Amino acid sequence: MNHRNRLELRKFVAPEFVCGQGALDLAGRYAHNLGMRHLLLVTDPGVRAVGWAEAVGESLTEAGVSFTIYDSVSPNPRAGEVMAGAEVYWSEGCNGIVAVGGGSPMDCAKGIGIVSVSGRDILSFEGVDRVPLPPPPLICVPTTAGTSADISQFAIIGDEEGRRKVAIISKALVPDVSLLDPEPLTTMPRDLTVDSGIDALTHAIEAYVSNASSPITDLHALESIRLTSKAMPAVLENPDDLNLRFSTLLASLHAGLAFSNASVGAVHAMAHALGGVYDLAHGRCNALLLEYVIEANYEAASIRYDRIGAILGQGQDEWMSPAGVVAAFRRSLGISGTLSTLGVTRDMIPALAERAYVDPCLATNPRDLSREEIEEIYERAL
Amino acid sequence: MSEHSDPRLAREALREKIIGLGETSLHKSYYPELQSRLAELERFRALLDQTYDAIFLIQAKGGRVVDFNATAQRYLGYSREELLSRSFEDLVCPEQRSDFLDYARRRHRSPAESGETYRVSLLTRDGRDIPMEVAFRSVTFGDDRYIVAIARDITERIRIERDLRIKESAFESSINGILIADLERAVTYANPSFAEMFGYSGPEALRGMNLESFFVDPSVAEEIVRDLLQNRPVILEVEGLRRDESSFHIEVSGSAVQNETGQPFCIMLIVMDITERIRLDNLKRESYAQLGKNIEQFAVIGDHIRNPLQVIVGCAEMIDDPLAEKILEQAGLIDRFIAELDRGWVESANVRNFLRKHGEDVELPERRPIGLSRLMDEDT
Repeated sequence: MNHRNRLELRKFVAPEFVCGQGALDLAGRYAHNLGMRHLLLVTDPGVRAVGWAEAVGESLTEAGVSFTIYDSVSPNPRAGEVMAGAEVYWSEGCNGIVAVGGGSPMDCAKGIGIVSVSGRDILSFEGVDRVPLPPPPLICVPTTAGTSADISQFAIIGDEEGRRKVAIISKALVPDVSLLDPEPLTTMPRDLTVDSGIDALTHAIEAYVSNASSPITDLHALESIRLTSKAMPAVLENPDDLNLRFSTLLASLHAGLAFSNASVGAVHAMAHALGGVYDLAHGRCNALLLEYVIEANYEAASIRYDRIGAILGQGQDEWMSPAGVVAAFRRSLGISGTLSTLGVTRDMIPALAERAYVDPCLATNPRDLSREEIEEIYERAL
Repeated sequence: MSEHSDPRLAREALREKIIGLGETSLHKSYYPELQSRLAELERFRALLDQTYDAIFLIQAKGGRVVDFNATAQRYLGYSREELLSRSFEDLVCPEQRSDFLDYARRRHRSPAESGETYRVSLLTRDGRDIPMEVAFRSVTFGDDRYIVAIARDITERIRIERDLRIKESAFESSINGILIADLERAVTYANPSFAEMFGYSGPEALRGMNLESFFVDPSVAEEIVRDLLQNRPVILEVEGLRRDESSFHIEVSGSAVQNETGQPFCIMLIVMDITERIRLDNLKRESYAQLGKNIEQFAVIGDHIRNPLQVIVGCAEMIDDPLAEKILEQAGLIDRFIAELDRGWVESANVRNFLRKHGEDVELPERRPIGLSRLMDEDT
């Protein structure tokens, strides 16, 4: 059980954000007001295909801001894509970035911003507080509701050579503006809606039990869990309902405000390791690890986990442990299977545990986990 | 994390940073960087303000001055507001404004090549003209195009150029041949007189030729350069070699030209054609020699006359004849004539001494004049 001192110092950093229908259309105004003359619009082919990048582009054009589109971004953005984006940023004479998409384009945009002012390899910024120069202004227009990269101080970049995910954590990475418009969420496919929703839930849960949580982050974390528990099952039934989409967006926003300041824990540390080795969807990894990490951490933050269980399990007839509630919740969203079904093999567990053990996210896990304990969690989730 | 060997301590330090309590855990702020960049700009501005060149930033459209360095203000004497309210064209002296506008239009159509400059006089606040050499460059900041004008005061250069033209004119019009060569003895300049003296079509034909080419004895060139580099004066008469390989007499004097640190960097030779002078000197020398010979012959004749005259005087004194007196009288006359010749000899000797003193030596035999009275005395 970890005992928290309420008087311990805490900080809360948040970007300016606008939420509501039509927020996307403000991209041009914000870009103009932030002094952007020609910007790099970072997105991915999927988001372009459904027209959201173009919609943002129209807003920019209306405001008299020119732009160059960079969409060579894959799911789980890679260091090479970041460096290539920085080359485009320089060659096109950009002085700002707008990211339109999910976590991948937004993390890639953050990486491009870092490299654009330093000229150094993005991987050299791995760790916490290692971004010495403020990156150029960044406006985020999320088209998913889960990663909260538009709010957070995190950027997760794939190291292709090392087959790992590198966490870059810095308050300097908190975007300048987030434009939270529910409309782009309506074009998300079901799987992506589920994965990103579980991602948001994991953020909220890990932030709430984090040893760096604060009364302010607690408010956001709990509200996020409440919103997710209600909105997620409903939105899968009514994917075009803007109100429900907006609830998921708010859930993601609250989770982002919570975890960006309280950070996350073992689930993310272990999911980063899985994503690096197997190039798996981050939300799906979180979903399959969350209940096992809760079990492992439970004694260290039982009251908080119980509160989470109570919120997520509302309306259930029989009592279940928080881990059981979380497991039932993800199954109710259609996420079944184990790590094995994603292709993870037992022989890789020591290597995965080794990577997870040195991930900075583990620093705020409510319990100090050893390598062996992490291996056990992987084993159970296999 | 690597700062701590204990993983728990490392993790705790990391946690502090993630919470945002690390030394550099700051929300993105451009202010520190802005301050640093501003300081850099101020330093650079100070640098620009200390240059000898006046620097103007001019709006390409309309030609308005939008910025300038302190040197521009120092040269022209306008206040900041006065300069910012003017177009660059306003700063050009009225007589040259039309030409300047033509130039600006041409440059607008085809941008200036690197290194190209334009000479124009700028007008100071108190109405003076300052001749300037201006380099114009086009730059773009954002969507706006500007012209950077870097203007250098060339008042002193124009004065130096005028002085140089005067000196060059003196060189060009000198009847003496003037030749400048580098320390490798390659000709860098020759005036028209030199080219003509040595039979070349013009000075340009001599550029790059080796100094040796102009002397019958090529080693003379090396000696001259060596002596000049050792600060020894050079004045010598040698035989020059014309292009058609004919030789002639020249007198060469020279000096080494030194740079600001006293190191010689070229040599300058002044060459006079002394063929005529040498011919006249030889003629004079021959004339004086002939003169000496003639005087000597007179002296010998005098002596030759005196010997028989002495006999005649002796015989006349011994005979008792009324004609003896007449003979002695005539002998005396002859003796006086010879004495006159002797005096002429003495005067010739003085001339000889004079010539000797002044380097025109004429060999005359030593002579002691002998008079008839001495002849008569010797008899007695």
